Amino acid sequence: MSRRIHPSVAGAQPFQLAERDPEAPLFESAEGQERLQAVLSRYPTKQAALLPLLGYANELHGWVSKQDMESIAERLDLTPAYVWSVASFYTMYNKHPIGRHFIQVCTNISCHLNGAQRVLKRFLEETGTRPGETSEDGRYTVIEAECLGACGFATAVQINDEYHENVTPERVSQILAGLDGNGS
Amino acid sequence: MAYPYRDDRETTTVLSRHMGEPEARTLSGWLERGGYEALGTALEMEPDEITEIVKESGLRGRGGAGFPTGMKWGFMPKENGRAHYLCCNADESEPGAFKDREIMRWTPHLMIEGCLIAARAIRAGHVYIYVRGEFFPVVRVLNQAVVEAYEAGYIGRSVLGSGWSCDITVHLGAGAYIAGEETGLMSSLMGGRAEPWMKPPFPAARGIFGAPTTVNNVETLASVPGIVANGSAWYRQWGSDESPGTKLWCCSGHLVKPGNYELELGVPLSEIIYDVCGGAPDGKRVRAVIPGGSSTPFLTADELDCETTYEGMQAAGSSLGTASPIVMDESTCLLSAMRRIAQFYAHESCGQCVQCREGTEWIAKILRRIEDGDGEMKDIDTLYDLCEQLTGRTICVLADSVVFPLRSSLDKFRDEYESHIQQDACTAT
Amino acid sequence: MYGNVKTAELVSLRIDGTEISVPSNTSVIEAAEAVGVLVPRYCYHPGIPSRPAQCRVCLVEIEGQPKLQPSCNISVQEGMVVHTASEEARSARRSVIELLLVNHPLDCPICDAAGQCMLQDYAFETRQLASRLNEEKLVMGRDRIAEDILYFADRCIICTRCVRFMREVAEDDALIVAQRGYRAYIDTFPGAVLDNPFRGNIVDVCPVGALVHEDFLFKARFWDLDQTASVCPSCSTGCNVTIDTVENQIVRLKPRHNSEVNSYWMCDHGRKHLIMSNRGLRPEAPLLRRDGKLVPTGWGEALTWVAERLREVSRGMAIVSPHAANESLFYFRTLLDRIGIAGGTFRVEQGEEAILPGFPKLQLRADRAPNASGAELHGFERFDGGAHSDPGGDAVAVLEDPLGELPDEWGREASFFLYVGNRLSPAARNAHAILPVTTFAEMEGTFTNFEGRVQRFHQALQPAGLARPAWLVLARLVSLLEDGGDGGVAAPTLASEAFQVMVRATPAMADLEWASVGLKGARLGSTEAAVPHAQAPAEGA
Repeated sequence: MSRRIHPSVAGAQPFQLAERDPEAPLFESAEGQERLQAVLSRYPTKQAALLPLLGYANELHGWVSKQDMESIAERLDLTPAYVWSVASFYTMYNKHPIGRHFIQVCTNISCHLNGAQRVLKRFLEETGTRPGETSEDGRYTVIEAECLGACGFATAVQINDEYHENVTPERVSQILAGLDGNGS
Repeated sequence: MAYPYRDDRETTTVLSRHMGEPEARTLSGWLERGGYEALGTALEMEPDEITEIVKESGLRGRGGAGFPTGMKWGFMPKENGRAHYLCCNADESEPGAFKDREIMRWTPHLMIEGCLIAARAIRAGHVYIYVRGEFFPVVRVLNQAVVEAYEAGYIGRSVLGSGWSCDITVHLGAGAYIAGEETGLMSSLMGGRAEPWMKPPFPAARGIFGAPTTVNNVETLASVPGIVANGSAWYRQWGSDESPGTKLWCCSGHLVKPGNYELELGVPLSEIIYDVCGGAPDGKRVRAVIPGGSSTPFLTADELDCETTYEGMQAAGSSLGTASPIVMDESTCLLSAMRRIAQFYAHESCGQCVQCREGTEWIAKILRRIEDGDGEMKDIDTLYDLCEQLTGRTICVLADSVVFPLRSSLDKFRDEYESHIQQDACTAT
Repeated sequence: MYGNVKTAELVSLRIDGTEISVPSNTSVIEAAEAVGVLVPRYCYHPGIPSRPAQCRVCLVEIEGQPKLQPSCNISVQEGMVVHTASEEARSARRSVIELLLVNHPLDCPICDAAGQCMLQDYAFETRQLASRLNEEKLVMGRDRIAEDILYFADRCIICTRCVRFMREVAEDDALIVAQRGYRAYIDTFPGAVLDNPFRGNIVDVCPVGALVHEDFLFKARFWDLDQTASVCPSCSTGCNVTIDTVENQIVRLKPRHNSEVNSYWMCDHGRKHLIMSNRGLRPEAPLLRRDGKLVPTGWGEALTWVAERLREVSRGMAIVSPHAANESLFYFRTLLDRIGIAGGTFRVEQGEEAILPGFPKLQLRADRAPNASGAELHGFERFDGGAHSDPGGDAVAVLEDPLGELPDEWGREASFFLYVGNRLSPAARNAHAILPVTTFAEMEGTFTNFEGRVQRFHQALQPAGLARPAWLVLARLVSLLEDGGDGGVAAPTLASEAFQVMVRATPAMADLEWASVGLKGARLGSTEAAVPHAQAPAEGA
């Protein structure tokens, strides 16, 4: 981003999955510091910055590591155990590194009615993975997701930060091909 | 993405009038469409006057419970000088519901304007918009709108030079349905597990950061600018006495035209399903409908002539919920559908209350076993009994949420269960 | 707790047909207890401030309320009518128990908590005799939560007492609930273990067998344990404890509630130290030096011999232990007065301090002995200057100080060396007479803690061999010295008698009564009589 992040949205920037860098320092960088301070400025307690910062780690690294939790705990005067308690409650913080393309197939009721299981199966077959596993080339991780809030456009699939709607098994290979061409 | 389907009825485009218009997302585009005029009006009003208008309008919370919004605001303390907060509940995650997402991605300023007016009414100096973490593209649109509104002076210090200040912060959830429950949301917002808490304390007395707090749904807040600008009588031209106004309907499942439709409250459900959405595709018959999102009781195809008001849906034995009918045609295995719903609630239970933590999982396991052909007739009794045990005994209503569809499916589609148990076969065609 | 609140306004309510008036800030579960109704509870614990009301086993019916209410979380109100055992309340309770058993492994035969398990108890109470469960159980396995504590996730009912003890009482947010829903479990930060000095309490608050001390694992069945009310001897706080023994062996210490001393808690040092210090060689019969050798003998002969020798003593020194009971110290002082030895010193082992933030009165104190105050009260002086000096040619009398870390030849030149104790260190072996006495666990008596609270302990173990309580031995010696041994002066034979003699002769203790010291102790100089056998709010059933 060329301009400074406005503090009002500093804790809500889930846009960089395609550019994530598992090695990047969380807070020991100008951007990290800016993000930390901007987020902290929006809440009366440090603890309230926990979800935004876990989200930031997830976004920057693609997952939340032990080290990330420790360094967030230190910044927010929390114990690492507390951070783990919160991080493990939420499904979106990846507890393991994920593939470059993180494919979430909604299989909840509306998508279920419209064949989501077949879509999921096709994604798994085409990527050669099992649910939650990352493909050997590091490209894909496919998971079954709960309702993605796109029930009118079933089956809904989210790949990194993009929604794909009305997905049918037939469209899966085309979608996967599109990912490697122009990114997502 | 173009907005898929538009309803052309003049009377029903209060919230959705500008959906599908990309320019409406920008501040300039929004101002051209009359945006922020209601905020100007509200800034000239006393907080309690705003609350009074909303009370008179009869607007009810659109997050599912239908609690009168003006009354909720009225619970907030009247004295100034203490921090108050507004939480905009944008953690839309009820399976079947996808209306808040549409509001935010097409008309984010409508929601922001609603947030500001509500904040003024309840004397809040800070609004947290708690958005579902999964809504990446939506958040992108929303963030841009918030920053634009800040830069133009609609949010922040002395809004539009009025001397009244209000901040808005966009806060992301991270994958927890229960964060959409009022107290769960507040637990989460404060940097915790999204665990609901026992009321009292009620949020208006002690919400986030120990301060009086109101939690309102996106659609509720998006309804507010129109009411403030045009008055309560204007809003009451739609709907019934008890359920005035319009409502976004999220129609999904087996439909020719699934999607989002804004309709006056009270339109018969059958009309929504058959006339608006075109009924089930491929000439199939509708078998069952869950009318208000996955946590509401099933209706059979014969029960769809009900009035879609809060009271009308209750009279029909179901609930308006989030107005999200999930339509299942005659080819649907209702057992499998119910199993999928139960599985969702088991996955989303926060795990505090025993009934919910263990009961939702047990129900999902029983349903899965019946689906796998290993059911026994006594499972039906066990399921009924679990419905009893999971009703009204927990901190929040997540456990009740699985009971509503389960009990109604047992009542209304018992043949489906029996057929699976006795013949390992589905009654679907 | 309700018993101590005097300022709050009283409200009257009816619980299961019984009228009661309690302060308005009392919860329904506490009020019920006051009328003798123990509402089942898991997440509620009287020593942990928060009331999450999440286990839902304490639901009761309150007239006028459409739903059952968690009695732990609801405050009493004027005119409230509560039914704790209505059909609906019982049905809700039964269902909670059934649901808790859905994924429970039912491994009671190998579970340490069997017999004192609140899941077992309530399952029995609610008649969960046959299961409707047809499903496979979730298996989560076990985990090491601390160096000495194991966590059996499958038995856990997620009441979070342990988590909230650590967070709210130990104020060390190191134990948490991880994951959510039916997948939730108790955890530390990955790779970390609990190292808090009060962590052992999480095992005590666990209502089931999810958290167990590894050193107790498979050691004993609960129903085989003998339990004795006692006082922890490992520092000057004097936490009230229960000593659990099996076949005359101490297997564990558990805290015993005392709101004036330790609430529901104790430290880990105390739990372990007694068991460790219980080991070692003990003198099991009186030993008299004859022809340079220590020869075992009977008590009658030994006491007569010692009394005769003591008559010859005119000057000498005395050493006592702050581990000795008040009664023993008193009779030792009486004996020393009789033979003309003034003063006397004691040493107190020092250690690192630790404080329990949520109940700051409870500290592991630097003084690692239970009765330094008692020793001071009876005229002995604390001695911090390294090792005790050698008595040289003077007489020396020692009460219970083990004389460890002293040179082997210490006391060898003494004109007379009386050792009344329960350890045989090389220096102690130089004594002319060794009179074997019991440890505190083998006797009845009292200690005086750091703030002058006199507390009773009871006999948990059979004495080693012929060892007798020091006060008994010393009292006999005193009476022999007084009347020449013809039995004219009666020595006490019961701890209570020794205590009464002591308080009559000790002005600072004049207010004390054996009965009022009771199970909770009494402060020296306090005019307010302690309530004997005051009941603590119950943790479990």
